[in-house]
Amino acid sequence: MKAIWSRYTVVLWLCVLGMAASPAWAQSREFPVSTRTLKNGMKVLVQPDHSIPNVALYIFYRIGSRNEHPGTTGLSHFFEHMMFNGAKKYGPGDLDKVMEANGGSNNAYTTQNVTVYQDWFPRSALSLIYDIESDRIRDLTFDPKKIASEREVVASERRLSVDNDNFGLLDEQLWANAFIAHPYQWPVVGWMSDIEHWTMEDLKHHFEMGYSPSNATMVVVGDVSPDEIFQLCEKFIESIPSHAPPPPVTTVEPEQLGERRLVVHKPAELPLLLIGYHIPQTNNPDYYALNILRSVLFQGESSRMYLRLVDKDQIALDVSSFVQPAFDPTLAILTVQPRQGIDPQACEKAIYEELDRVKASQISDQELEKAKNGRLVEFYREMRTISGRANTIGTYEVFMGDYNKLFDAAKNYSAVTKDDVQRVAKKYFGANNRTVATLLPEKEEKAGQ
Amino acid sequence: MTRIKRALSLLSMAGFLVLACPAVPAQSIHLPPHEKFVLKNGLTVLLMEKRGVPLINLFAIVKTGTAADPAGEEGLASVTAGLLRKGTKTRTAQQFAADFDFIGGSFDAGAGADFSNISGEFLTKDLDRGLELFCDVLLHPTFPQHEVEKILAQSLDGVKSEKDEPQSVLGLYYAGYLYGAHSYGRPSDGDEISLKRIQRDAIVKFYEANYAPGNIILGIAGEFDAAEMRKKLEERLGSWPARTVPNTAIAVTPPEKGKRLLLIDKPDATQTYFAIGNLGTAVNDPDRVAIRVVNTIFGGRFTSELNEALRVESGYTYGAGSFFDSHRAPGPFEIYSFTKNETTVPAIDLALQILEKLHKNGVTQEQLASAKSYIKGQYPPTIETSSQLVRRIVFNEFYGLGDDEVNQLEARVDAVTPEIARQVIQKHFPLENLVFVLIGKASAIGPAVKKYAEKTDARPISEPGFWPPPAAVQK
Repeated sequence: MKAIWSRYTVVLWLCVLGMAASPAWAQSREFPVSTRTLKNGMKVLVQPDHSIPNVALYIFYRIGSRNEHPGTTGLSHFFEHMMFNGAKKYGPGDLDKVMEANGGSNNAYTTQNVTVYQDWFPRSALSLIYDIESDRIRDLTFDPKKIASEREVVASERRLSVDNDNFGLLDEQLWANAFIAHPYQWPVVGWMSDIEHWTMEDLKHHFEMGYSPSNATMVVVGDVSPDEIFQLCEKFIESIPSHAPPPPVTTVEPEQLGERRLVVHKPAELPLLLIGYHIPQTNNPDYYALNILRSVLFQGESSRMYLRLVDKDQIALDVSSFVQPAFDPTLAILTVQPRQGIDPQACEKAIYEELDRVKASQISDQELEKAKNGRLVEFYREMRTISGRANTIGTYEVFMGDYNKLFDAAKNYSAVTKDDVQRVAKKYFGANNRTVATLLPEKEEKAGQ
Repeated sequence: MTRIKRALSLLSMAGFLVLACPAVPAQSIHLPPHEKFVLKNGLTVLLMEKRGVPLINLFAIVKTGTAADPAGEEGLASVTAGLLRKGTKTRTAQQFAADFDFIGGSFDAGAGADFSNISGEFLTKDLDRGLELFCDVLLHPTFPQHEVEKILAQSLDGVKSEKDEPQSVLGLYYAGYLYGAHSYGRPSDGDEISLKRIQRDAIVKFYEANYAPGNIILGIAGEFDAAEMRKKLEERLGSWPARTVPNTAIAVTPPEKGKRLLLIDKPDATQTYFAIGNLGTAVNDPDRVAIRVVNTIFGGRFTSELNEALRVESGYTYGAGSFFDSHRAPGPFEIYSFTKNETTVPAIDLALQILEKLHKNGVTQEQLASAKSYIKGQYPPTIETSSQLVRRIVFNEFYGLGDDEVNQLEARVDAVTPEIARQVIQKHFPLENLVFVLIGKASAIGPAVKKYAEKTDARPISEPGFWPPPAAVQK
């Protein structure tokens, strides 16, 4: 699935989880975090950083498309939009106007697992941001006119990212086929017919279900002190009543017992290939070995898949892999952009041969070290901005259960052996475990029929 | 080289009850100290020490970009840049990849209208290795024939792939339609025709003519010692022979008169993507800060007039905005949005109404206060990392702008009044003279959009090239 559905996307009109490798970096003392759990159950993490006079404030709600049901898919994402459309003190349109007039900006994103609200602002607007956040968490309102126009906005977003986007379309089909029981089956943005039918009752119910303060983690990084943040939380957030969390998602996807295949015919210049393999949820011991394996196979132009498909055989323009943070067993998705006129099955054959190689014999010491070095640099890239840090700290806290594991990632990556990499390759990348989605260009004459 | 962009990661950018007082403390925005020196061979070097994260960022500009591509060989500068890493005197493409990937570094090279750019990033502990690799590809590329063929074929497919995503190519059609044969109208990464014409000879000539020390600005920012770095650079780059470089003149075109519309047919589109505008400004335009403030109000942020009207109030679109894309000579000004086929005309009508209102009413003191606060509050995260900082100082150097571009930003923003805004709107925001480019389903929207312009043109998206339609390759 397109992993992230957001409030707005900057489109180029012209033109993960952060990881650590060696014990030398990612010490908790480098990035001191203070925490407090408020009386209403919201956990607050604060990481002071005075290098720029700005703050990144993220709130992670543990609710996403996995908490939805057929008939009302896409509701979490729609709700995310509605969180900006009016509450008691700041009415429809006020939130953005006031925030921007005070030097701030915001966005939000929804995934299968969480909905995250992001505020970026100069520290002078700190108190105002808390006023705004508490208003909408406590007293969000639902204006029927706003529901109507926001529904159109979401439909436009779906058209942009799925209906008129070959990758988005194929990705949606892939998940729908790889999961036959579990809620990861349906798209985060929702099926178009569900988008058209959401009601105000659906929204209210969703708010009640998912937006208890006890279901949220707040992360604040930037030009602040922990004391002042905790005081603001006491003043603005702590008295917001909490209630039960969303009902647990109990559906377990049954083991996939054979390869699944699907084809999409669509007007296109180039074909497209996506292969999804079932892998465990984020908080699983194989997590680090899997990331190392994916680096060896896909990271950089010296990676095995790039060398084979792009450089040597020249049957693809691009190859990559993607895994998103997940509470439940999820997919590792391999993406291949075949060259024009290339049969995607030729790409499949090459992919499977390379996977067989990595299962049959261990990777080299050099490849292992290279992968670890790559993850190290990636970690620093994630951690060098206040917004990257807020995202990483929050993601570790929510998906690994403890932000401190961020500082354990170092030794966890160090500990990955060539054996481990071979083992996870054999365990997860077999034929029965894969769903193969292919997009084949359709001639234009057919499009009109 | 054209990259295949996939909507995997969201491009969530910060930038990218009105209260009385500005919310941002004064004098908080400034560039960290940096130094400049010029090697004997003319290479300009900018160094900025920035401690806290053990990364080093290199960013080099070659002062010749795609404007120097010979007519019919669009993509030459871009492909030349892309080939730097694909073979040197001592390394094959694969060896370079292996060496750079091993240190976890990243490397990229490409070209835009005004310049070609090369960037590298690696850990402080790998400084010597990273620098050696970077200088190797800058000084000693060999452009092996098989790599040339590979990259040209990949670039060609890359253009086709971009056409599968209308929002990725709207800007290319727009620039082409607005500028015609002028260099800013030509696609930087080439098109399906031009890429077939490019030969290894031309690439080697382009490199030899333009990649000369006197034509390059190299910036480095990050965690290192400046004195040591200077020594290393003198050693590695000091003896690169100087040579003179032809100057690429960029003609200044006058803005379009009247109204013209180009409709690019994508028969399976359920959504129309549109761009409206005219010529904009050059990077060093004296009005640039005032323009930035006004554009923030008009189309440069979530609560802009365009986004308020087309998204928030009407729900026509997920996003609408406007921007000035400035170059050495005036670049394009563009209003953009997208909407389902059925609301194409209402959305365009509305965008034009908002533009008319801007000219008629100007901007209020309140709107200015809000926009100023926004620009100042959102600026620090844009110069937070050494990667961002190195680009800032190199661009300043290239375009002849000083540190004041950053250090005086707050003061310049504060100085914009409604009267100044009015003048800037009159001078720089078009009204009667407009170019329209639409990508959408012609059979659904074609007849209805004719009303917007005296002259209309059309092309299917699957036809090679953008605009003007390229002449076929001579066999």
